[in-house]
Amino acid sequence: MWKEFAEPFQYPRFKLNEIKVDEKLVKDMPAIQSRHAPKKKEKPKNFAGTIKRIWSYLAESKWKLSLVLIMVVISSAMALLGPFLVGRAIDWYIIARDNSGLLYFLIGLAAVYVLHSVSVLLQNFWMIGIAQKTVYGMRVQLFRHLHRLPIPYFDKRQHGEIMSRVTNDIENVSNTLNSSVIQIFTSLLTLIGTVSVMVWLSPLLTLITFLVVPLMIYGLRWITRRTGVLFKAVQANLGDLNGYIEETMSGQRIVKTFSQEKRVIAEFREKNLNLKQASFWAQTFSGFIPKLMNGLNNLNFAIVAGIGGLLALHDMISIGVIVIFAEYTRQFTRPLSDLANQFNTLLSAIAGAERVFQVLDEEEERKDEKHAGELEQVKGEVKFSNVTFSYEKEADTITNVSFHAKPGEMIAFVGPTGAGKTTLINLLSRFYDADEGTIYIDGHDISQIKRESLRSHMAFVLQDTFLFRGTVRENIRYGRLDATDEEVEQAAMMANAHSFIMKLPEQYDTVLDHNGGGISQGQRQLLSIARAILADPSILILDEATSSIDTVTELKIQEALQRLMKGRTSFVIAHRLNTIRNADKIVVLKDGKIIEQGSHNELLEQKGFYSELYENQIKAGNF
Amino acid sequence: MKILSFLKPYRLAMIVALLLMFVELAVELSQPLIISRIIDDGILQNDLSSVLWWGGILLAFSLLAFVSGIINSFYASHVSQSFSFDLRERLYEKIQSFSFTNFIRFPTSSLITRLTNDVVQLQNTVFMFLRIALRAPLMVIGGMIAALFVNLKLALIIVVTVPVIILFLSWIMKKVAVLFRQVQERLDGVNSVMQENLMGMRLIKAFLRRSHEVKRFTQASRQLMERTQTALRVTEITMPGILLVMNISIMAILWFGSIELSTNQATEGEIVALINYATRMMHALSVISMVIMNLSRARASAQRAREVLNTEIDLTDRDDSDEKLRITEGHLRFDGVSFRYPGKKAPVLSDVSFEAKPGETIAIMGATGSGKSSLFQLIPRLYDTDEGIIAIDGIDIRKLKLEHLRKQIGYVPQEALLFTGTVKENIAWGKEDATMEDIIEAAKDAQIHETILKLPKQYDTVLGQRGVNLSGGQKQRLSIARALVRKPKILLLDDSTSALDVKTEADLLQALKKYSCTTLMITQKVSSTRSADLILLLEDGKVSALGRHEQLLEQSALYRDICESQNWEEAEKHVERIR
Repeated sequence: MWKEFAEPFQYPRFKLNEIKVDEKLVKDMPAIQSRHAPKKKEKPKNFAGTIKRIWSYLAESKWKLSLVLIMVVISSAMALLGPFLVGRAIDWYIIARDNSGLLYFLIGLAAVYVLHSVSVLLQNFWMIGIAQKTVYGMRVQLFRHLHRLPIPYFDKRQHGEIMSRVTNDIENVSNTLNSSVIQIFTSLLTLIGTVSVMVWLSPLLTLITFLVVPLMIYGLRWITRRTGVLFKAVQANLGDLNGYIEETMSGQRIVKTFSQEKRVIAEFREKNLNLKQASFWAQTFSGFIPKLMNGLNNLNFAIVAGIGGLLALHDMISIGVIVIFAEYTRQFTRPLSDLANQFNTLLSAIAGAERVFQVLDEEEERKDEKHAGELEQVKGEVKFSNVTFSYEKEADTITNVSFHAKPGEMIAFVGPTGAGKTTLINLLSRFYDADEGTIYIDGHDISQIKRESLRSHMAFVLQDTFLFRGTVRENIRYGRLDATDEEVEQAAMMANAHSFIMKLPEQYDTVLDHNGGGISQGQRQLLSIARAILADPSILILDEATSSIDTVTELKIQEALQRLMKGRTSFVIAHRLNTIRNADKIVVLKDGKIIEQGSHNELLEQKGFYSELYENQIKAGNF
Repeated sequence: MKILSFLKPYRLAMIVALLLMFVELAVELSQPLIISRIIDDGILQNDLSSVLWWGGILLAFSLLAFVSGIINSFYASHVSQSFSFDLRERLYEKIQSFSFTNFIRFPTSSLITRLTNDVVQLQNTVFMFLRIALRAPLMVIGGMIAALFVNLKLALIIVVTVPVIILFLSWIMKKVAVLFRQVQERLDGVNSVMQENLMGMRLIKAFLRRSHEVKRFTQASRQLMERTQTALRVTEITMPGILLVMNISIMAILWFGSIELSTNQATEGEIVALINYATRMMHALSVISMVIMNLSRARASAQRAREVLNTEIDLTDRDDSDEKLRITEGHLRFDGVSFRYPGKKAPVLSDVSFEAKPGETIAIMGATGSGKSSLFQLIPRLYDTDEGIIAIDGIDIRKLKLEHLRKQIGYVPQEALLFTGTVKENIAWGKEDATMEDIIEAAKDAQIHETILKLPKQYDTVLGQRGVNLSGGQKQRLSIARALVRKPKILLLDDSTSALDVKTEADLLQALKKYSCTTLMITQKVSSTRSADLILLLEDGKVSALGRHEQLLEQSALYRDICESQNWEEAEKHVERIR
């Protein structure tokens, strides 16, 4: 039993400058890293900077916000006026036994009360409107920004971590804006009002009351120095946990078949424990704030009572003033402790906002160069000139690659797995930019072309198929949003997807999601081919597009693709060489370098790598 | 399962926290009494020592309250954090025990919100409850009782008003609970769009669908905004409402008080005291409204957590499963197996029968959607069959313990799913006690060893969430290595070699021979089926042909078509031969 009592004091201690934050998470959140570095002066700057940025959002509703402030002024004034009038009523009417006078007075009092309630109601109504609009704006801005980030940003991060910013952090900001802003102003006004009355009643006693203020400031700083860091650690741990949940959910099939439930639970437990420990300290320390305020409040009360009593003994103040002061010191610290309470929420909201802003500050996909032009019409001539590129700094993925595709040609990339075929596609579509060398389309350097404009001339069928939550029809229409139903169905027919779609429970209106929603990998691939067909591009990119489609279907698709590829430059990555036999040019890659290029027959004659590969396939398939 | 039961283990700590809170409350209530002592015994009697004495007591009491408050923070924080830790863990454990049918009900994004946002909400509520929540109701009850003692008749005003307010509060609370549930649903909506976009970013960029996606997201966010506004605004009615009602009651006390006063049935002091109590209670009630708002949010969260906890797992070890039953050989038999996905009308598999002897390789072929992957899912019991029996070594797999069954199976899915961590960790993922030799051996057999050695940190290279820095083929081979390291009795390759070039694939198949396991492979390649001991050709969920390569060439037109598409020369020869 004693163990249970001791438990709350047995959480691992931490030293402020040694809070354990996961290396990976530090990498993703430079702000935390800098927190730990001994650059304490930056902290308030950061804080103020974040507040300023939040304000820049609120400033959009400046007009309405000033209305809210007016209401706050009115409600604070009414809140002070009400009790004051009641006191007067007692002095003037009750003690004087003036019933008819009281009746008129009460009518006035009723007006004050009604005004009070109405102003409180209005300020909240309006503020909620402003807050939610702001949060909505932030959310949408964040979303837009995410879409402008380069692909490497997403490749490097877990979705869950980004998700946590969009959900938890923004939610935090939302909660704070809803209530904190009004509370802060109300508290400030009440504070000013109370202090004024106190000074008016007895400057000396007011001064004594104020003695606790330095103590309070010191205490609060001691606490917030800790909570600021701790709340960040909590958010980081929460992000980590989110990422883990998401990963194990999407890999659930593997977890189950490998019966690793216990293991993932154990790993989850570890992350959960990290979160618990960070949260424990964050919550405990932030819990000190109201207690500190309360303690100081009580201390104040004791001082006022004691010293006030001594003063009264010497007839320096009246008993009434002590009674009023006893009430007013509470009046004066209540808004202060409200402010302190709000400070908690504010802190975690600011920590959250900072993380949201971090994403917003993340460098966008390199801006299209200033003179970047639009590509109006594309014939489809593509030229790679000495292109070199690496994902990591250490080793080149692609070295010195050059080739040329005439308009309408079909170019096939062939080579062992990992030779850099997909990388070439990534470079052509500018998901990544080449380190050295230039890629030309119709003679234009693609780094001088707007990405959107560039991609608008391309259609992709990627190795990883992806479907959105929505109907089959919507998913195909993704290729061209203004396509009619007939066009969608036509594209589906061309991609040989129509027949299986018609077998689905709701045909074209069957709802799919990103896990497929009950259709197979091959069928998903058919849909994404239909999608590309609908897009009607000048340049077509097929990255292992048919790898998971059965060969019988593939034959039919090849027909459709032949039709589609006519007049378009197309780049095809495929392992089954017979599907690219009739390519105009086959580019053979190995270890990121081009080792052979030419037509099927030319390459066979060369008796090089390609011909060996081809022989092997024939051998493997020959019986 | 009740969410509150998660608090049970921390009863003692809770009691301590609450007692400490009472200490604080008692100190606060004693203050007016003490100050009246200072005035009556000290100042009015001109007694300096009495002023100092009571002042000292005030000081001591404030210190006591402060210390209690600090200790309360530790206990309250401990209880709420332990509670949320346990709840989160229990939820996660429960989710891990979900069958795939269960997953249909809860999208991933919703599960994530339940595990994070909802749990945090509940944790905050517990924390608040242990620190301030009980204080307000005690204040109200105490105030009412005290008021009755002061002046029975006038106090009736308060005694009538307070229940009215409480009724009003609970009415609002009900409304708010519904509204916040809707808010959560909208939030799930926003999250699921966001998640989709994060996963499909490459595609979205490729198809230039940014504006379309932004439109979708904006719409979802707007709905969330509107719902949130409504929910919060309804909540905000409470505060001005309480103010108005209590203020009216103060006016009533003044008015009726002055009438009573004129008939000498009340005194000035009593009126002042009653007004004082009304004011204090008004403050307490406004705290209560905050508490109630929080509680209703917490209730919504608790409900959502409960939904997960109370989900019935429809696929577990059966009662008649026997721990002693063991898979030793890997002799697999399908006997008249039919299956349809839950909630779907059309069966994906109907009356499938075949037999795979230990060590044999079975190739499964068929058009897209013919039921190949579904057939695979039945073997590790991700789903149960509707009709027919699947048996391994003559034992109905439903009689085996799930864990034992799955331990004997090496599964390589179509989409290679890797986990964050190093290459080594990913390979050893299926077998924690695997030695480095085991790992390298599996990697060599999966034809990925050479590639790994070329990575910046070899086996210690960290992979991204979905193995981003590897190509599709490399991911596939890594996930094959992951299955091989377990030395399974039954190996399921779900088109796992599709992204491999023919040479690598041939080497892989050669290496597999030394494993004494029954191999089932879904494939599109005749190069793989050729050497298989048995080929199972599926068409619309039915077995269309079954036999060895040569047999199928004779019997099945569909199989000939497939061969034709992959090897024109041989197919031509074959056609000639048939003629």
